[in-house]
Amino acid sequence: MLAPGLGLIVVFILVPIALTVWLAFTKWSAQTPFSTAAFIGLDNFREIFGSSSVGRDFKGAMVNTALYSLLSIALILPLSVAFGMLIHQAELRGADILRTILFATYMVPMIAVALVFSKLYSPSEGPINQILSWVGIGPQPWLSSPDTALVSVVLLNVWQQVGYFTILIIAGLTQIPTSVYEAAKMDGARGPALFGHITLPLLKRTLLFSGVIALINAVQVFEPVALITQGGPVGSTNVMTYHIRRVGIERAQGGLGSAMSVTLLLALVVTVTAVFAFARREERR
Amino acid sequence: MNTQGRLPAAGANANGWRAFLYLLMIAIAVASAFPLVWMVLSSLKTPAEAMQTPPVWIPQTPSLESYQKVNELIRVGRSFANSAVIAGVTTAGILLTSLMAGYAFAKYRFRYREALFAITIATMFLPPIVTLIPLYRLVGSIGLNASLAGVIIPNLANAFGIFLMRQFIAGVPDELLEAARLDGASEFRILFRIVAPAVAPALAALALFAFVYHWNSYLWPLTVLQGNSDNYPIVISLSRLLSYNRSAVNTGLVMAGATLAVLPPLVLFVFLQRFFVRTITASGMTGQ
Repeated sequence: MLAPGLGLIVVFILVPIALTVWLAFTKWSAQTPFSTAAFIGLDNFREIFGSSSVGRDFKGAMVNTALYSLLSIALILPLSVAFGMLIHQAELRGADILRTILFATYMVPMIAVALVFSKLYSPSEGPINQILSWVGIGPQPWLSSPDTALVSVVLLNVWQQVGYFTILIIAGLTQIPTSVYEAAKMDGARGPALFGHITLPLLKRTLLFSGVIALINAVQVFEPVALITQGGPVGSTNVMTYHIRRVGIERAQGGLGSAMSVTLLLALVVTVTAVFAFARREERR
Repeated sequence: MNTQGRLPAAGANANGWRAFLYLLMIAIAVASAFPLVWMVLSSLKTPAEAMQTPPVWIPQTPSLESYQKVNELIRVGRSFANSAVIAGVTTAGILLTSLMAGYAFAKYRFRYREALFAITIATMFLPPIVTLIPLYRLVGSIGLNASLAGVIIPNLANAFGIFLMRQFIAGVPDELLEAARLDGASEFRILFRIVAPAVAPALAALALFAFVYHWNSYLWPLTVLQGNSDNYPIVISLSRLLSYNRSAVNTGLVMAGATLAVLPPLVLFVFLQRFFVRTITASGMTGQ
């Protein structure tokens, strides 16, 4: 029963992870067999953390990905909690329709999202700048300026994903028994106090899970960067998935790319472990 | 935002609050739907309309010209067929492997069960880029580069499906399985005749999730197909329209392509979304 599922996972996930770790310590062209990989110790890591252009690009990609992930999470979590409460707790008619519309955007292929937003963001003919002009805000450069390009990609990511996280939050909200709210209201708790003392603490596990998923999703951003910005302008949207693929596959520097993958994996493991450890300590208090 | 806590004694205030919440709800719905509505409207514009500044919102003379042009530039039919094969076969594989492994994890007792399950779950959190480089070479070395099989085979099992099935199969009563065993039913018969029907809504949700995910997936097919455009799924064929993206004249063209790619997953979603929402809520996926 287990063999097909686990066998595939071993061959196509666990073995490649092991290969990535091994290749990170070798000089290897991704266009040649694994047997041509030559062990070079920590040279790849020295290079990607060094001061050459390889190091600068890699560190830039790490910073961009971290920024992109932080901004995405900082927007997605509060919005999805607000949307989830609006849909689940406010008892409004038509809330199901809103839930469906929000969730539908998650089904849209990222390539279509990228194509559509590249037009929406267009500084001259795009409708977003037109709408902004109605409320007296001047035209924004969006994807065409190094100052705003990364944020623009974050916004399209938030637009696409917030519905999925709203569903997760609703799932969390349905687990909170109404009796808890009633008891708190008897004790005189109102609006903000209810939210702060009941809703938020009881949503903590859901939020933690959502935050981790949002982080993993954010690290995967690829299409809008590959298709629209190519990492630019001036490297401002050069994110890890795009950068690693460019180095490891397109330039075929498999060893160097693998070292970057290993670094990314370690960074994720450390971050997620730290978040869980922090949450557990909070819970014990 | 919580009306339960907000309902004051005076009715007027409460009505005002509810009106505000309704407005908020409409505003969110509009903002969420806007890009897709704009995409469809723009796909119906003529090139002249697409050029106008300030932009025209609703095409005056809707035309399907852009769709025709998309069909001339990329092989739409072929790409759709490739997408259907990739998403369809991958989904079937995921359903089968998830059902089997989920059943084993939920109902069998064996050594290292918890450890194996934990390792499986951990792979759920792995961004694909981490394994992309060796996987690309691995698939190449077994001669599957540039083929649909190369796109499909590495994705025939995944941790999310196994996790989901274990969660739901655990809720199937053991007595049911024991009774079937006493009747001499084989394990596969039990799996397909008793377990699968009992978790049908979760299977439907998994099917939707897997199909949409693999219909939309871009990074892996792009990498493994290596420019073999015969095997391009629709999302990759579409990226060719991007060379027309620089000029506003071609907005209609690009939006027509995007609309074509969006339709199948959205239609599927409309039919299956209730299973999906229910499954996420019931799976305990969010940690409860």
